[in-house]
Amino acid sequence: MTRLFVLASRVRALFARGRQDEDFARELDVHLEMLADDYVRRGYPRAEAVRAARIALGGSMQLTEDRREQRGLPWLDTTLQDLRYGVRALRRNPVYALVAIATLAIGIGAGTTVFSLTRAVLLRPLPYAAPDRLVRIFETNPLKNWARNIAAPANYADWRRQNAVFTDIAAYEQFDSTGSGASDVFLTGFGEPQPLKALGVTGNLFSVLGARPLLGRVFTDEETYAGHSRVAILSYGAWQSIFGGDPSVVGRAVALSGRRVDVVGVMPRDFFFPGRDVQVWLTVGYDPSIFVKSRRPHWLGVVARLKPGVTLAQAQQDMNTVARGLERTYPDTNTQMGVRLENLHDSFAYAPRPALLMLSAAVALFFLIVCANVANLQLGRAAARAREIAVRRALGAARGRLVRQLFTESLLISSAGGAVGIAVAFAARAALLRLSASALPLFADVQFDTPVLMFAAALTLAAPVLFGVIPALQSSTADRLQERSDAGSRESRATSTLLIAGEVALSVVLVAAAILLARSLLRLRAVDPGFDPDGAVAFTVTLPSARYPDAQTRLNAFEEIERRLRAEPAVEAVGATSTLALRGFTWTGDATVEGRAATDYERELRHNSVTPGYFAAMRIRLIAGRLLDERDTTDRPPVAVVNESLARTYFHGADVVGRRITYGRPQDHSPWVTIVGVVADEQQDALDKAAQPAVYSSIRQQLQNPMTFVVRSTLDEGAMIAAARRAVHAVDPDVALTAMTSLRQLVDDSLGDHRLQTALLASFAGLALFLAALGVYGVLAYFVSQRSRELGIRLALGAKPRALFAMVVRQGMQPVLVGGAVGLIAAVGLTRLMATLLFGVGPLDPVSYASTVGALVTTGLIASALPARRATRVDPMTALRDE
Amino acid sequence: MGDAKSEVLQGTLDLMVLQTLEAMGPQHGYGLARRIEQVSEDALQLNQGTIYAALLRLQQRRWIAASWGTSDNNRRAKFYAITKAGRRQLAAEAENWTRIAGVISRLLRLSER
Repeated sequence: MTRLFVLASRVRALFARGRQDEDFARELDVHLEMLADDYVRRGYPRAEAVRAARIALGGSMQLTEDRREQRGLPWLDTTLQDLRYGVRALRRNPVYALVAIATLAIGIGAGTTVFSLTRAVLLRPLPYAAPDRLVRIFETNPLKNWARNIAAPANYADWRRQNAVFTDIAAYEQFDSTGSGASDVFLTGFGEPQPLKALGVTGNLFSVLGARPLLGRVFTDEETYAGHSRVAILSYGAWQSIFGGDPSVVGRAVALSGRRVDVVGVMPRDFFFPGRDVQVWLTVGYDPSIFVKSRRPHWLGVVARLKPGVTLAQAQQDMNTVARGLERTYPDTNTQMGVRLENLHDSFAYAPRPALLMLSAAVALFFLIVCANVANLQLGRAAARAREIAVRRALGAARGRLVRQLFTESLLISSAGGAVGIAVAFAARAALLRLSASALPLFADVQFDTPVLMFAAALTLAAPVLFGVIPALQSSTADRLQERSDAGSRESRATSTLLIAGEVALSVVLVAAAILLARSLLRLRAVDPGFDPDGAVAFTVTLPSARYPDAQTRLNAFEEIERRLRAEPAVEAVGATSTLALRGFTWTGDATVEGRAATDYERELRHNSVTPGYFAAMRIRLIAGRLLDERDTTDRPPVAVVNESLARTYFHGADVVGRRITYGRPQDHSPWVTIVGVVADEQQDALDKAAQPAVYSSIRQQLQNPMTFVVRSTLDEGAMIAAARRAVHAVDPDVALTAMTSLRQLVDDSLGDHRLQTALLASFAGLALFLAALGVYGVLAYFVSQRSRELGIRLALGAKPRALFAMVVRQGMQPVLVGGAVGLIAAVGLTRLMATLLFGVGPLDPVSYASTVGALVTTGLIASALPARRATRVDPMTALRDE
Repeated sequence: MGDAKSEVLQGTLDLMVLQTLEAMGPQHGYGLARRIEQVSEDALQLNQGTIYAALLRLQQRRWIAASWGTSDNNRRAKFYAITKAGRRQLAAEAENWTRIAGVISRLLRLSER
């Protein structure tokens, strides 16, 4: 406590220095007077008495000085002194200060922005107990080209029974391609029917995750199965927005898509699984036989918790054994069916990881460039301050003290830069979120929280070490007064040139990478999606099975919706599909081609069910035969339209129309389906993934639910959406339209991650190049101003301006070319690492490298030409008169 | 910093200041210095300025409080007074001091034999 009082008093003293000094001086004066009076009383003459009093009291300067030390915090005092001095020094040179602060602000802002993304996706721990012990289990199968596939329920159940490495394994349904794979359900009875994202899970999921509910309870194992599954758990968001945070909702029954379920729990605010879009968890409610028999269709995501002490590698080994056992027992379905284990967080971050790592590396390079640039600015300024430093050294300032002083100035600049940088990053947040909306996985929540701010602070502290130390050491060596611009500045110029060459080298790496990405993006944009994305919207309609129990009622509803949509004014075409392009999700299965050997069959045929109007609505080109039409009904022989890719792979381009296939293996003896037409490929998964063989069946022959409608119209998007709503609600007011998008948006979203990484990298590269140019310009401008006398004399003596111009430009281009060459070599090595992020261009794409060199040389020439022009305009008379 | 001087001496001076303030009521720096010199019968030759280091130290610990007042011969001077915490400290220190003094004098007597 007493220590605290002392500290408090010392801190207070910092702010009242002047008053306290004055106070103490008065106190000492009074003391002296009293003491002198005393001596006078003892018979000293007055003058003698004052002298004696002074001796008895002790030197007042010394006392005051001691008191100051005892009173304040000496190190803080020195620092404050350095800070005050620093602020004064910066004020004297505001342009330097502003440029340095702005440069650092950009560097720190960029670093903070990228870190906020990286943290959201890669670093922030998942909100589960011991999340690093959780793994995802995928099925692999080289025959089907599966590397990370969802699992068949019976395989999942066997894994769960036979493994020795997990405390338990849980599963969840992956029925949709949008978002987390959750399906749409509709909550009724609370005003308008509310669409909710619902995920079917096994009863043990929450206990595997180690997640506790905020209210109520989690599911039990038994609730996995049919007959026990009328239970639901709400997300915090859904609980707040739909039930207004009413705790009595737990235990209440609600209707979800016509099915009555009891809300048994509410999860905490931080919880999500597997993405933040899921609003309600239901149990799968399967008949137990599904977990025994269903080994062909695959629809389960699988997550498991490692037993204590078991490593991922050991688990993988054990599961390989289990999978091999299943392969032997069920050769029919499990031939070559393996498993792949991934850390759960790694599997969540699987897709964006390479881009984020690339961006992190890029922003680190950019930060180095920023620091090099500021170091350069400081060197230029140090040359101008050499005299001041020399004077201070001559007056006895210790070298350490000077380094400290210069370093404090650096810290001052970087703190200002950091503050502005955080503000910039914060201001850019909205734009970043918009840009990253379709690029980041749904579990990522980009926030500017404490760790992000700490990171910005760390950058702020790291920056002065990077940019301040070399200039501080260098300029503090200037000890001789006469030293003005010879040895010292030559040394600092050499350092400058080196720094600029380094900056250029780093910039070239960034520019080359950015150009490669930009060219990839252009290539991607040029990919024909197989449909016309302009002037059409799409939305999904899910018919609740409670009110639409059979195929006929569903078909009637879908066809009625399509008829109503078509009747809306200005609608050109309407169709519906079970699988919209670029959403990357569909049912696949084996296929047999008529006339092949009995053991030879195709795998992974993609199934679409469409209305006959679908092709016109998408403007998918018919290549051969005919499209589906109204006559293709259940009482007619089954027919299919296939895509080009199927015609190519299954029939090697031969005439396909009239050929027959089955949806199954030869031994399955499935009914023959006649191919009636061939259409152009749609891009199914993404623009950069080749189309796979697919069939289109009429919904009259192969009904599916939900269906995604496509409406093409001359109306604008808003009017189209309104018309769509009207038409659907005319058929059934309790059915909602979900996943509403324009086809253009669909294409754009599929490019989201490419756009994000290209935009960020391109801005880093552009800024890096600009900073390098600024460095070149700064050094040359200083060079020209220092040598204006020499240049003037040379001009006066008849030197050609052109020769002087060339001389300056040569000097400027030297570090650009050297750094550029080093940078190109580094880029060749480094861009190889980003090969997976590229599309349609190799990492050594000559056009990209040529453009990089072009950009570099142009920038260098512009940066050199401005000071060079000034060199040719030096007026000899002015230059001479200056002397 | 000033703390480099002998801890005992500092402590002694602090104790003397506290005791003097306790015994005589509020005093200014000069009065304190004089009083301590007198009591010690000039055995303790103070550099009078050092009293101010002790006063500041005691103030920082909130054992004494200072305020400006008027001296006997009508001079504006800073007066120091002992606080409640100061009295507590004084009591504790005095006891401590007596104990240590007792121990040391016994020790000295023992070694004389």
